[in-house]
Amino acid sequence: MIALKGIDKHFGHHHVLKNIHFHVKSGEKVVIIGPSGSGKSTLIRCINLLEKPSSGEVHVDGIEITAHKAPVTKVRQSIGMVFQQFNLYPHKTVLENLTLAPVLVKGVRKEEAEETGMKYLERVGLKDKAHAYPAHLSGGQQQRVAIARALNMHPKIMLFDEPTSALDPEMIQEVLDVMVDLAHDGITMVVVTHEMGFAKQVADRVIFMDEGKIIEEAKPEDFFNHPKNERARLFLSKIFR
Amino acid sequence: MIKDLFKAENLMFLMQGLAVTLTIAVATILLSIMIGTILGIARHSRNKALSRMSGVYIESVRNVPMLLFILAVRFMTPLNAVVSGIVAMTIFTSAVIAEIVRAGLNSIGQGQWEAAKSQGLNHVTTLVHIVLPQALRNITPALVSQFITVVKDTSFVWAVGTEELTGRAIILMGKHNNPVQVFTLFGLVAAIYFIPNYVLSHMAHWRQRKILH
Ligand SMILES: Nc1ncnc2c1ncn2[C@@H]1O[C@H](COP(=O)(O)OP(=O)(O)O)[C@@H](O)[C@H]1O
Ligand SMILES: [Mg+2]
Repeated sequence: MIALKGIDKHFGHHHVLKNIHFHVKSGEKVVIIGPSGSGKSTLIRCINLLEKPSSGEVHVDGIEITAHKAPVTKVRQSIGMVFQQFNLYPHKTVLENLTLAPVLVKGVRKEEAEETGMKYLERVGLKDKAHAYPAHLSGGQQQRVAIARALNMHPKIMLFDEPTSALDPEMIQEVLDVMVDLAHDGITMVVVTHEMGFAKQVADRVIFMDEGKIIEEAKPEDFFNHPKNERARLFLSKIFR
Repeated sequence: MIKDLFKAENLMFLMQGLAVTLTIAVATILLSIMIGTILGIARHSRNKALSRMSGVYIESVRNVPMLLFILAVRFMTPLNAVVSGIVAMTIFTSAVIAEIVRAGLNSIGQGQWEAAKSQGLNHVTTLVHIVLPQALRNITPALVSQFITVVKDTSFVWAVGTEELTGRAIILMGKHNNPVQVFTLFGLVAAIYFIPNYVLSHMAHWRQRKILH
């Protein structure tokens, strides 16, 4: 479903991703962890080309999107992304946030987009907020709307970049619950997070990154109980304290 | 003698002047919104040549007195006084509005562009549906204050022989020229300018309130 082949990314002189090879099968759930600045965001953003690799290939669903004249915007429609800062459209109501892209880029009828939108809002427990503006919602509610917004495009892949890091502690669980529920759907998920509970519960695989490289890759129980790599061990000891 | 000044004929004469003032102001504002928005978007664009060109226009125009444009357009083109006034004021005002629009576009964080991009929106659709509406909301106060400036600055067009409000007040001054009359006359004209500007600034407040709720 996703294949990154020999990805390098430079920001000026800064070598942020170093020869990354990363594959995700259809329906697989992968959690990426690693210290701040290790390149996790840059890696996940390469999957939908929010970040353009300096070299290497990105394949999504059989299409090489790094190729010249690849249908990038088309492929992006099948990849939902959830950001740390939610990035809802503040001038639109919750329901309008959900229907905007389906109507504008997929040509879905407004009524239909609203109908599926309400279904997803119900699923994330926010049906009664359909006509509220994002500014009137709590952080946890905004992030659940952001997930519903992504889902209303009916994506094959969902990317999450630290979806709970900007939330107050009491709101983290409501967002994780929605993500766990989503994982049962069989959708392909790539999640940057330090929520070990979530990783153990849903991840098929954990990827540990450090200094622009993937340095360990294992099943969650193996990784958390017996990390092979010294830096992974150190990192885990810090976040568990 | 003040009664003299307030006769219906004079008031009518001033009101016709106000009509000319408002014609120039409204035409200038509408044209400047269109041109200024395009220039502001160009200035904000990632296309360096486009941004540079727009920047040169904005900077060269903003740093020249508007009266110079009014005189230049009037005496270098065959346009009549009112039309040349509109053209000259539009040249100037569109540069000011372009800067305001650019600041508005800059005020919208990268996160909005990225969210839209991740959903498959292209650059233009994102600009039209996501970024511009938010930018316009943020710059409404600055725009309104520029519109008020435009209404007031129409008085410069008097210099090229337009009988707008100020021009007509000066004509009346010919007949009513003792200090009390002149003082009253200009007080009256000031009050007349105040009305459309008061309406404008309150429209802005009303809009702001509506958005906050
Ligand atoms: N747009 C950018 N310009 C320059 N440097 C960047 C940019 N984005 C990220 N970086 C740098 O790349 C490195 C990796 O960043 P990032 O992928 O955000 O790490 P992580 O998500 O693991 O914290 C960091 O050192 C960061 O400062
Ligand atoms: Mg990050």
